[in-house]
Amino acid sequence: MSVTFPSGAFFQALAAAMAGAHDRFRGLGFFDATIGIRVLLDDDGGAERLFVLVFEVFECTRAEEVPDFTRLHVDFVLEGKTSVWREMFENIRRNGGADVAHSINTLTHFGEQLTLRYDDPDGHDKLYRFAESVQQFFDLAATLDGVTYEGAARLAAPAA
Amino acid sequence: MSYLSTKDFLADKDFVDRWQYTLRSGELDLSWMRAATEQVECKPQNARRGLTFRDLDVPGYGYSTMPELARANRSFAPRGAEIPEGCPDLQAEVNRKSEVWAYNVESYYEEAMSRQWNATTDVPWAELVKAELPDDIARAYSQLLTFLTEVEMIATDVPAKWMGRLNADFFEVKNFIATQVMDEARHAEVFRKRALTTGYGLMKASPQNELNLKFLRDADSFSEASTTLHLQAEGMILTLFRFSEYISPTEGDKKLFRLVMQDEARHVGYGMQHLKWVLDHFPEKREIIHKHLDEAENFVFGGAYAVEVMEPFIILSGKGMKKAQIEQGCKITAAFQVKQVEEYFERLEKCGLPERKERSQLYKALELGQAQLAAMGVRTH
Repeated sequence: MSVTFPSGAFFQALAAAMAGAHDRFRGLGFFDATIGIRVLLDDDGGAERLFVLVFEVFECTRAEEVPDFTRLHVDFVLEGKTSVWREMFENIRRNGGADVAHSINTLTHFGEQLTLRYDDPDGHDKLYRFAESVQQFFDLAATLDGVTYEGAARLAAPAA
Repeated sequence: MSYLSTKDFLADKDFVDRWQYTLRSGELDLSWMRAATEQVECKPQNARRGLTFRDLDVPGYGYSTMPELARANRSFAPRGAEIPEGCPDLQAEVNRKSEVWAYNVESYYEEAMSRQWNATTDVPWAELVKAELPDDIARAYSQLLTFLTEVEMIATDVPAKWMGRLNADFFEVKNFIATQVMDEARHAEVFRKRALTTGYGLMKASPQNELNLKFLRDADSFSEASTTLHLQAEGMILTLFRFSEYISPTEGDKKLFRLVMQDEARHVGYGMQHLKWVLDHFPEKREIIHKHLDEAENFVFGGAYAVEVMEPFIILSGKGMKKAQIEQGCKITAAFQVKQVEEYFERLEKCGLPERKERSQLYKALELGQAQLAAMGVRTH
């Protein structure tokens, strides 16, 4: 069944895929972080959708759309336009994982594509403390049956 | 042999008779069964996580109630055990909790243990050895890997040097820095392996950086060593690992840098939590740390901008040595250097050292770098 990006269902599908890949994530180690996702809608001046991903031990225990990040104590927020997120997920689905130009670290490094926002350097550093787990979580998009993008035609490409 | 037993046990007739009598008669002493210690029940608070050090933080054994000065235990006795007469005085050099402790040190240890990886099997070497890199990129990459191998060897030596000098009561810290020793040894291993698989091998050592590394190694106290190793040097190397992931030529190299950055970020986390602890519990150290950073920053400025370090960055980030590529590489490298120093001051501020900017020569260099970036038309944030 295909899921639409951006939506709570999309991130819940990634969380379910993570649960299904328990041994792989257990091998990567404890993953304790709260990540905010901000999707800036391309065509809707200033409009955005926010999601929170809570990781505890080896699992994603919460993946849902939220009205704001207040009181959620997010460690950092990954922010970008829908088109950038879409390009990243399409790339992951084509290759079975992000290629050299589409890893989370590369996209956020100078803030040119995705922007990394944080209040606390400790929270910021969690992106790097759990870098491989974060990357492999997003790489699970390659395993989803299908992804459609809000305001766009469904992609024909199957999971890699 | 520098340390001798006061007794030759096999020549001690009483000792030998007692040993043989016990085995012959079965008459046991059993005084150890009446050890004056706490009987406690510890169990995992979160079964998914297993039994952690935090679950052992109970009266008689825990770290929360540990006194600031570890006066009672001068031996190898594990914290909480009865210490009978006759245990040796090991003359630990660090006996003050605020000299070594960090907020959440126990969870950094657990994270370190669960996130260990293997440089031999977790990196896609079969893919990497097949990757063909252009000559100039491969040479620059090998030079970067040479520098990183050099740095990681000292990062192994520094925590190893301090481990045996800490009072045995600081068990959680000793264990954490033991994981750091393993992490850094693995980093030296993985960079050496990668250098030797590029086809170019190792390139040239960096004298200016070795002077900096010697300064790191020879710090007078653990807190000074930690501030410069964990927070300053590893903080800057963390930014460098992220930059290296950003400019990595293959997906395998990207994975390699993500794995090393995880370890490095954990060490930075410990360093930050340690500095916060020091400033909260041992405020007299503030000025000592400033003085140490004054010289540490001088070394950093000299080392990081040495040609054998900076030039490979320029070539790798510009993706070659043509004029336009070098120009692009200079812009990206300048932005990286500014980011590296900005993050260092961000961390110091978060730890409770906001005044560092006022007295730091490196902060003046940062302002120069930011102005230069603006002149080059490079956006930093």
